[in-house]
Amino acid sequence: MHSLVAGRRAAVLLCACAAAAAQAKPIAFADGTTVMAEYGAGTMVEAQAFYAPSYRFSAGGGWLRLDSDLDRRTREIGYVRANYLLERWNLEAAQANVFVWGSLGRSEGDGFGGSRLARNAGFQLDYETRRVYAALKSDLWESDAFSHRIDTMQLGLAPYEHDYRDLATWFVVQARRYTGGIHRGTETAFLLRLFKGGAWVEAGVTGEGKPQVMAMFNF
Amino acid sequence: MMKKIMQGLGIGVLLAAANVRAATIVMDVNGLVCAFCAQGIEKKLRAFEATDDLVVSLERRLVAVSTKPGQDIGDDVLRTALTDAGYTVKAIRRSDEPLSAVRDRLKAPEK
Repeated sequence: MHSLVAGRRAAVLLCACAAAAAQAKPIAFADGTTVMAEYGAGTMVEAQAFYAPSYRFSAGGGWLRLDSDLDRRTREIGYVRANYLLERWNLEAAQANVFVWGSLGRSEGDGFGGSRLARNAGFQLDYETRRVYAALKSDLWESDAFSHRIDTMQLGLAPYEHDYRDLATWFVVQARRYTGGIHRGTETAFLLRLFKGGAWVEAGVTGEGKPQVMAMFNF
Repeated sequence: MMKKIMQGLGIGVLLAAANVRAATIVMDVNGLVCAFCAQGIEKKLRAFEATDDLVVSLERRLVAVSTKPGQDIGDDVLRTALTDAGYTVKAIRRSDEPLSAVRDRLKAPEK
Protein backbone atom coordinates (compact mmCIF):
# COMPACT_ATOMS: atom_id res chain seq x y z
CA MET A 1 0.00 0.00 0.00
CA HIS A 2 2.84 2.35 0.98
CA SER A 3 4.67 1.57 -2.24
CA LEU A 4 1.50 2.30 -4.27
CA VAL A 5 1.10 5.73 -2.61
CA ALA A 6 4.80 6.46 -3.04
CA GLY A 7 4.55 5.38 -6.68
CA ARG A 8 1.59 7.70 -7.30
CA ARG A 9 3.42 10.59 -5.65
CA ALA A 10 6.51 9.91 -7.77
CA ALA A 11 4.36 9.76 -10.92
CA VAL A 12 2.67 13.06 -10.10
CA LEU A 13 6.04 14.71 -9.44
CA LEU A 14 7.52 13.26 -12.63
CA CYS A 15 4.56 14.45 -14.71
CA ALA A 16 4.86 17.89 -13.20
CA CYS A 17 8.56 18.10 -14.00
CA ALA A 18 8.21 16.66 -17.49
CA ALA A 19 5.30 18.84 -18.47
CA ALA A 20 6.94 22.03 -17.13
CA ALA A 21 4.49 25.21 -17.00
CA ALA A 22 4.73 29.07 -17.29
CA GLN A 23 5.85 30.69 -14.10
CA ALA A 24 7.49 34.00 -13.44
CA LYS A 25 11.26 33.80 -13.41
CA PRO A 26 13.27 35.48 -10.65
CA ILE A 27 15.69 36.80 -13.30
CA ALA A 28 14.04 38.14 -16.44
CA PHE A 29 17.06 39.40 -18.38
CA ALA A 30 20.44 41.09 -17.94
CA ASP A 31 20.31 44.72 -16.85
CA GLY A 32 16.60 44.26 -16.19
CA THR A 33 14.39 45.19 -13.27
CA THR A 34 11.50 42.97 -12.25
CA VAL A 35 8.64 44.08 -10.03
CA MET A 36 5.94 41.59 -9.12
CA ALA A 37 3.02 41.16 -6.76
CA GLU A 38 0.83 38.16 -6.06
CA TYR A 39 -2.39 37.69 -4.16
CA GLY A 40 -2.79 33.98 -3.48
CA ALA A 41 -6.35 33.16 -2.53
CA GLY A 42 -6.24 34.94 0.83
CA THR A 43 -3.52 32.59 2.07
CA MET A 44 -0.47 34.29 0.63
CA VAL A 45 0.36 37.83 -0.46
CA GLU A 46 3.82 38.60 -1.80
CA ALA A 47 5.53 41.56 -3.45
CA GLN A 48 9.05 41.51 -4.85
CA ALA A 49 11.48 43.75 -6.73
CA PHE A 50 14.77 42.60 -8.23
CA TYR A 51 17.52 44.05 -10.35
CA ALA A 52 19.61 41.71 -12.52
CA PRO A 53 23.09 42.94 -13.47
CA SER A 54 23.51 39.74 -15.48
CA TYR A 55 21.21 37.01 -16.74
CA ARG A 56 22.58 34.70 -14.04
CA PHE A 57 22.09 36.83 -10.97
CA SER A 58 19.57 39.21 -9.47
CA ALA A 59 19.16 40.78 -6.06
CA GLY A 60 16.43 42.72 -4.37
CA GLY A 61 13.83 42.51 -1.71
CA GLY A 62 10.33 41.44 -0.95
CA TRP A 63 7.52 41.18 1.50
CA LEU A 64 5.49 38.04 2.23
CA ARG A 65 2.36 37.56 4.28
CA LEU A 66 0.89 34.17 5.08
CA ASP A 67 -2.59 33.82 6.61
CA SER A 68 -3.62 30.39 7.76
CA ASP A 69 -7.07 29.29 6.69
CA LEU A 70 -6.99 26.68 9.50
CA ASP A 71 -6.46 28.95 12.50
CA ARG A 72 -5.44 32.53 13.36
CA ARG A 73 -1.80 31.97 12.38
CA THR A 74 -0.20 34.79 10.42
CA ARG A 75 3.35 35.42 9.24
CA GLU A 76 4.68 38.66 7.86
CA ILE A 77 8.22 38.70 6.50
CA GLY A 78 10.22 41.51 4.94
CA TYR A 79 13.38 40.22 3.28
CA VAL A 80 16.37 40.74 1.02
CA ARG A 81 17.02 38.04 -1.57
CA ALA A 82 19.65 36.91 -4.04
CA ASN A 83 18.60 34.77 -7.05
CA TYR A 84 20.98 32.69 -9.13
CA LEU A 85 20.47 30.87 -12.42
CA LEU A 86 22.22 27.59 -11.72
CA GLU A 87 21.73 26.12 -15.18
CA ARG A 88 20.07 27.01 -18.46
CA TRP A 89 19.51 24.86 -21.50
CA ASN A 90 18.84 26.77 -24.70
CA LEU A 91 17.24 24.31 -27.08
CA GLU A 92 16.16 25.07 -30.63
CA ALA A 93 12.54 25.72 -29.71
CA ALA A 94 12.59 25.49 -25.94
CA GLN A 95 14.35 26.70 -22.85
CA ALA A 96 14.83 25.04 -19.47
CA ASN A 97 16.18 26.62 -16.30
CA VAL A 98 17.19 25.82 -12.75
CA PHE A 99 17.04 28.82 -10.41
CA VAL A 100 18.02 28.89 -6.74
CA TRP A 101 17.70 31.67 -4.19
CA GLY A 102 18.26 32.55 -0.59
CA SER A 103 16.86 35.30 1.64
CA LEU A 104 17.24 36.81 5.04
CA GLY A 105 14.56 38.89 6.69
CA ARG A 106 12.63 39.90 9.77
CA SER A 107 9.38 38.18 10.60
CA GLU A 108 6.45 38.96 12.81
CA GLY A 109 3.36 36.93 13.42
CA ASP A 110 0.72 35.41 15.57
CA GLY A 111 1.95 33.01 18.25
CA PHE A 112 5.33 34.58 18.96
CA GLY A 113 6.38 37.90 20.35
CA GLY A 114 8.49 40.55 18.65
CA SER A 115 10.28 40.05 15.39
CA ARG A 116 12.48 37.10 14.53
CA LEU A 117 15.21 36.52 12.01
CA ALA A 118 13.77 34.56 9.10
CA ARG A 119 15.81 32.64 6.54
CA ASN A 120 14.75 31.28 3.22
CA ALA A 121 15.98 28.95 0.50
CA GLY A 122 14.21 27.95 -2.67
CA PHE A 123 14.51 26.60 -6.15
CA GLN A 124 12.59 26.61 -9.40
CA LEU A 125 12.80 24.21 -12.32
CA ASP A 126 11.07 25.32 -15.49
CA TYR A 127 10.74 24.27 -19.09
CA GLU A 128 9.12 26.38 -21.77
CA THR A 129 8.23 26.24 -25.42
CA ARG A 130 5.88 28.67 -27.15
CA ARG A 131 2.97 26.31 -26.48
CA VAL A 132 3.79 24.55 -23.23
CA TYR A 133 5.24 25.80 -19.98
CA ALA A 134 5.85 23.83 -16.81
CA ALA A 135 7.42 24.79 -13.52
CA LEU A 136 8.09 23.33 -10.13
CA LYS A 137 8.96 25.76 -7.36
CA SER A 138 9.71 25.21 -3.69
CA ASP A 139 10.16 27.99 -1.16
CA LEU A 140 11.18 27.24 2.45
CA TRP A 141 10.90 29.83 5.21
CA GLU A 142 12.24 29.18 8.66
CA SER A 143 12.81 31.00 11.91
CA ASP A 144 13.16 29.80 15.48
CA ALA A 145 9.37 30.22 15.76
CA PHE A 146 8.08 28.62 12.53
CA SER A 147 8.83 26.61 9.44
CA HIS A 148 6.74 26.86 6.28
CA ARG A 149 7.36 25.42 2.85
CA ILE A 150 5.34 26.50 -0.16
CA ASP A 151 5.50 24.09 -3.10
CA THR A 152 3.96 25.23 -6.37
CA MET A 153 3.57 23.33 -9.63
CA GLN A 154 2.20 24.93 -12.77
CA LEU A 155 1.32 23.58 -16.17
CA GLY A 156 0.50 26.11 -18.87
CA LEU A 157 -0.80 25.68 -22.37
CA ALA A 158 -0.92 28.46 -24.96
CA PRO A 159 -3.82 28.33 -27.44
CA TYR A 160 -1.56 29.92 -30.09
CA GLU A 161 2.13 30.67 -30.55
CA HIS A 162 2.76 34.31 -29.76
CA ASP A 163 5.58 36.33 -31.20
CA TYR A 164 7.49 39.27 -29.76
CA ARG A 165 5.18 42.28 -29.27
CA ASP A 166 2.07 40.06 -29.67
CA LEU A 167 -0.27 39.45 -26.80
CA ALA A 168 0.60 36.08 -25.30
CA THR A 169 -2.21 34.05 -23.76
CA TRP A 170 -1.76 31.06 -21.48
CA PHE A 171 -4.17 28.78 -19.65
CA VAL A 172 -2.51 27.64 -16.46
CA VAL A 173 -3.35 24.94 -13.94
CA GLN A 174 -1.65 25.31 -10.59
CA ALA A 175 -1.28 23.05 -7.58
CA ARG A 176 0.13 24.47 -4.35
CA ARG A 177 0.84 22.97 -0.95
CA TYR A 178 1.71 24.78 2.27
CA THR A 179 3.33 23.18 5.31
CA GLY A 180 3.28 24.45 8.88
CA GLY A 181 -0.48 24.86 9.36
CA ILE A 182 -1.20 27.44 6.66
CA HIS A 183 -3.49 25.33 4.48
CA ARG A 184 -4.60 21.72 4.53
CA GLY A 185 -4.21 19.64 1.41
CA THR A 186 -3.45 20.78 -2.10
CA GLU A 187 -4.82 24.08 -3.30
CA THR A 188 -5.59 23.98 -7.02
CA ALA A 189 -6.15 27.04 -9.19
CA PHE A 190 -7.12 27.74 -12.79
CA LEU A 191 -5.55 30.87 -14.21
CA LEU A 192 -5.61 32.99 -17.34
CA ARG A 193 -2.23 34.57 -18.02
CA LEU A 194 -1.68 37.43 -20.44
CA PHE A 195 1.55 39.17 -21.24
CA LYS A 196 2.77 41.64 -23.75
CA GLY A 197 6.08 43.45 -23.87
CA GLY A 198 7.28 43.69 -20.30
CA ALA A 199 3.87 43.44 -18.63
CA TRP A 200 2.40 40.22 -17.31
CA VAL A 201 -0.98 39.78 -15.62
CA GLU A 202 -2.67 36.60 -14.50
CA ALA A 203 -5.91 35.99 -12.69
CA GLY A 204 -8.08 33.07 -11.79
CA VAL A 205 -9.77 31.15 -9.04
CA THR A 206 -8.86 28.27 -6.78
CA GLY A 207 -10.89 25.10 -6.53
CA GLU A 208 -12.51 26.68 -3.45
CA GLY A 209 -13.58 29.69 -5.52
CA LYS A 210 -11.06 32.13 -4.02
CA PRO A 211 -9.36 34.65 -6.29
CA GLN A 212 -5.72 34.50 -7.25
CA VAL A 213 -4.06 37.43 -9.02
CA MET A 214 -0.52 38.18 -10.07
CA ALA A 215 1.12 41.04 -11.92
CA MET A 216 4.71 41.38 -13.05
CA PHE A 217 6.58 44.09 -14.91
CA ASN A 218 10.02 43.82 -16.48
CA PHE A 219 11.91 46.85 -17.70
CA MET B 1 31.47 68.28 -71.02
CA MET B 2 28.84 69.35 -68.49
CA LYS B 3 26.93 66.13 -69.20
CA LYS B 4 30.00 64.02 -68.42
CA ILE B 5 30.58 65.90 -65.16
CA MET B 6 26.97 65.33 -64.14
CA GLN B 7 27.21 61.62 -65.05
CA GLY B 8 30.43 61.36 -63.05
CA LEU B 9 28.83 63.05 -60.06
CA GLY B 10 25.81 60.77 -60.32
CA ILE B 11 27.97 57.64 -60.39
CA GLY B 12 29.98 59.01 -57.48
CA VAL B 13 26.85 59.62 -55.42
CA LEU B 14 25.59 56.10 -56.18
CA LEU B 15 28.92 54.52 -55.22
CA ALA B 16 29.06 56.56 -52.03
CA ALA B 17 25.51 55.54 -51.18
CA ALA B 18 26.36 51.88 -51.74
CA ASN B 19 29.45 52.25 -49.59
CA VAL B 20 27.56 53.67 -46.63
CA ARG B 21 24.43 51.53 -47.01
CA ALA B 22 23.33 50.04 -43.71
CA ALA B 23 24.15 46.36 -43.33
CA THR B 24 21.77 43.78 -41.93
CA ILE B 25 23.12 41.09 -39.63
CA VAL B 26 20.92 38.06 -39.08
CA MET B 27 21.48 35.68 -36.15
CA ASP B 28 19.90 32.29 -35.50
CA VAL B 29 19.36 31.98 -31.76
CA ASN B 30 18.49 29.01 -29.56
CA GLY B 31 16.29 29.41 -26.48
CA LEU B 32 14.25 32.24 -27.92
CA VAL B 33 10.79 31.26 -26.67
CA CYS B 34 9.23 34.19 -24.85
CA ALA B 35 8.71 37.93 -25.10
CA PHE B 36 10.93 38.51 -22.07
CA CYS B 37 13.79 36.75 -23.89
CA ALA B 38 13.31 39.09 -26.84
CA GLN B 39 13.06 42.10 -24.53
CA GLY B 40 16.43 41.31 -22.95
CA ILE B 41 18.10 40.79 -26.30
CA GLU B 42 16.64 44.00 -27.69
CA LYS B 43 17.86 45.97 -24.68
CA LYS B 44 21.36 44.52 -25.06
CA LEU B 45 21.65 45.17 -28.82
CA ARG B 46 20.13 48.64 -28.78
CA ALA B 47 22.88 49.66 -26.37
CA PHE B 48 25.40 49.46 -29.22
CA GLU B 49 26.18 52.82 -30.83
CA ALA B 50 26.23 51.16 -34.27
CA THR B 51 22.74 49.65 -33.96
CA ASP B 52 20.19 51.38 -36.13
CA ASP B 53 17.20 49.08 -35.71
CA LEU B 54 16.45 45.46 -35.01
CA VAL B 55 13.79 42.83 -35.24
CA VAL B 56 13.30 39.71 -33.12
CA SER B 57 11.25 36.76 -34.32
CA LEU B 58 10.32 34.02 -31.87
CA GLU B 59 8.63 32.17 -34.74
CA ARG B 60 11.79 31.98 -36.86
CA ARG B 61 14.14 32.00 -33.84
CA LEU B 62 16.19 34.84 -35.23
CA VAL B 63 17.41 38.30 -34.39
CA ALA B 64 18.20 40.76 -37.20
CA VAL B 65 20.10 43.99 -36.63
CA SER B 66 20.67 46.84 -39.06
CA THR B 67 23.65 49.06 -38.42
CA LYS B 68 24.02 52.75 -39.02
CA PRO B 69 25.62 53.77 -42.32
CA GLY B 70 29.35 53.13 -42.35
CA GLN B 71 29.25 51.28 -39.02
CA ASP B 72 29.43 47.61 -38.11
CA ILE B 73 29.25 45.28 -35.12
CA GLY B 74 31.67 42.37 -35.18
CA ASP B 75 30.49 38.75 -34.99
CA ASP B 76 32.41 38.17 -31.77
CA VAL B 77 30.83 41.22 -30.17
CA LEU B 78 27.34 40.09 -31.20
CA ARG B 79 27.95 36.53 -30.06
CA THR B 80 29.20 37.78 -26.69
CA ALA B 81 26.23 40.14 -26.32
CA LEU B 82 23.69 37.37 -26.91
CA THR B 83 25.58 34.92 -24.72
CA ASP B 84 25.66 37.57 -21.97
CA ALA B 85 21.92 37.98 -22.46
CA GLY B 86 21.54 34.26 -21.76
CA TYR B 87 21.04 32.82 -25.23
CA THR B 88 22.96 30.62 -27.65
CA VAL B 89 23.90 31.95 -31.09
CA LYS B 90 23.86 29.19 -33.70
CA ALA B 91 24.85 31.23 -36.76
CA ILE B 92 25.55 34.80 -37.84
CA ARG B 93 25.22 35.92 -41.44
CA ARG B 94 25.36 39.29 -43.16
CA SER B 95 22.96 40.36 -45.81
CA ASP B 96 22.43 43.22 -48.23
CA GLU B 97 18.70 42.85 -47.62
CA PRO B 98 17.38 45.91 -45.76
CA LEU B 99 15.92 45.27 -42.32
CA SER B 100 12.51 46.40 -43.56
CA ALA B 101 12.56 43.56 -46.12
CA VAL B 102 13.57 41.07 -43.40
CA ARG B 103 10.70 42.36 -41.27
CA ASP B 104 8.24 41.96 -44.17
CA ARG B 105 9.53 38.46 -44.90
CA LEU B 106 9.06 37.50 -41.25
CA LYS B 107 5.44 38.65 -41.36
CA ALA B 108 4.74 36.36 -44.32
CA PRO B 109 3.54 32.85 -43.49
CA GLU B 110 6.38 30.34 -43.18
CA LYS B 111 6.63 28.03 -46.23
